[in-house]
Amino acid sequence: MTAVRSILGKELRDAVRSRWLLAFAATFALIALALAVVQEQGDVGAQGFNRTTASLINLCLMLVPLLALILGAGAIAGERDRGTLATLLAQPLSATQLLIGKYVGLTIAVWMAIALGFGMAGVLLALVRPVADFGHYLLFIVLSSALASAMLSIGMVISVLSDGRAKALAIAVLAWFALVLFYDLAAIGLALSVTSSGQSLLLTALLNPVESVRILAILSLEPDLHVLGPMGAYLHLELGTLRSVVLLTGAVFAWAVAPLAVGAMLFRRQDV
Amino acid sequence: MLSVRAVSKSYGKSTVLDSATFELQPGEVLATVGSNGAGKSTLIKAVIGLIRFDGDVSVDGIDVRRHGREARARIGYLPQNPAFHTDLNVRETVTFFAQLRGAAASAARSAVEAVGLAEHAEKQVRALSGGMRQRLALAIAQLGDPPLLMLDEPATGLDVAARLELREFIRDQRARGKAILLSTHWLDDVPSIADRVIVLDQGRTTFHGPAAAFATRAVARSLLYVRLNGHSGEAIPLIQATGGDVTRSGDWLAITCPANNKAHVMETLLGAGITILDFRVEEAAAPSAPGPLPGGTQ
Repeated sequence: MTAVRSILGKELRDAVRSRWLLAFAATFALIALALAVVQEQGDVGAQGFNRTTASLINLCLMLVPLLALILGAGAIAGERDRGTLATLLAQPLSATQLLIGKYVGLTIAVWMAIALGFGMAGVLLALVRPVADFGHYLLFIVLSSALASAMLSIGMVISVLSDGRAKALAIAVLAWFALVLFYDLAAIGLALSVTSSGQSLLLTALLNPVESVRILAILSLEPDLHVLGPMGAYLHLELGTLRSVVLLTGAVFAWAVAPLAVGAMLFRRQDV
Repeated sequence: MLSVRAVSKSYGKSTVLDSATFELQPGEVLATVGSNGAGKSTLIKAVIGLIRFDGDVSVDGIDVRRHGREARARIGYLPQNPAFHTDLNVRETVTFFAQLRGAAASAARSAVEAVGLAEHAEKQVRALSGGMRQRLALAIAQLGDPPLLMLDEPATGLDVAARLELREFIRDQRARGKAILLSTHWLDDVPSIADRVIVLDQGRTTFHGPAAAFATRAVARSLLYVRLNGHSGEAIPLIQATGGDVTRSGDWLAITCPANNKAHVMETLLGAGITILDFRVEEAAAPSAPGPLPGGTQ
């Protein structure tokens, strides 16, 4: 555990030193505040926080996966590029420990960036807005962090499989396009071209952590499952709201664990 | 201390290490010698568990493949090209590796002092010279006082003074009872620091025996590059007459000759009135096989 803690600590130190943590925290804060100001100028009403949260969801479903995938992809491939991987693995440290230490360190760093950025913006907004819906905003922060964990895990697998940082980053960006942009279009295409069975749409959502978090975020604002269309109807009929939330949360958790486990298995079998 | 039995490594159909077998006892220095690509680094990486391999390796009776972490806790490793996180300074780097090895912070400070880097402790690693990085790597290799040291081409890139220091370091570690496995392709280091020698050629062990026996038969060779003023045709037979092998490479002639004969080659060329515009000498690389040796295993 000492070795894992050392790797974890170094990742956190690197995140602070390289200032990306602060840069992303500031970016998240600015985005949240900018969206709030834009809405303020249009129509505010009492739904201040909910409106801001709803606007932030779509933006964060794009930004957070990109950040997490890129950070994860650079984790092992970067060490490989620098030639430091052999030096690290020549120590009393297993490949799995190195991977887990890096993953946990990066996850905490991204969580900190999200919490700091959206947290600061939330506090500022709370000064001028009614705080009745602040719970939804907090839930949104938690969901963003969960999404980051899942995407970091996918990024780590990409990193293990890539022989250099540049290749890893290119694959990470492709993965982002596939999971964030094309997946949506593909799901819509599926719904339009074949009978839009709620079951198949649910499966589509479970197979992509971005979609799972998107649905969870929508449900956090509007617990009526029917807003989700055929899938919502299926969920309402078969599972109900609570079980649906548990299922989707379980899917995100699985995405945070399974790719990392696969990455560790592959990493252990690699020559350094 | 170290037991290596029938260790082989292949990439596809290419065998880079073929059934290497030896034992290494405490207080003993074993040098693996061979040209580039002979399998020296592969052997060291197999012992550390950085690559998958066939055969058995155990350190202090601990199977490297099954209990890699425990085995590596007993190994100090100096890589061929030491690479570190360049954003850290010397103190932070050694402290980080001390934490990984479960060594105390005081051990990190002592290691930095032992290699003469105390006054550079706050210097960024990226600002260190090649020699200083080598010292840093040595400091890290000694953390936790491991009983087995693996030094992969430790003399590469070192000037004469640093190489002498390195020899002293190895002697000192041997006197303290450390087992040392080092790889080198510079023959002149071997007799003065090693007890036994393994010669590798394309992964195969072509010699395994006492360093003294190796030294009496192995002939060091030099690779000499010369750029002449348009007299290459005239120079080639002269060089061949001195016993050197010559190949052309653009404006340059590459001459392979016995290390103790390179000055004679230069004298011959100058004596024939051939102008040498430029020259470069690569030091003696190990022969692929030193021939039959009394007391050695062929």
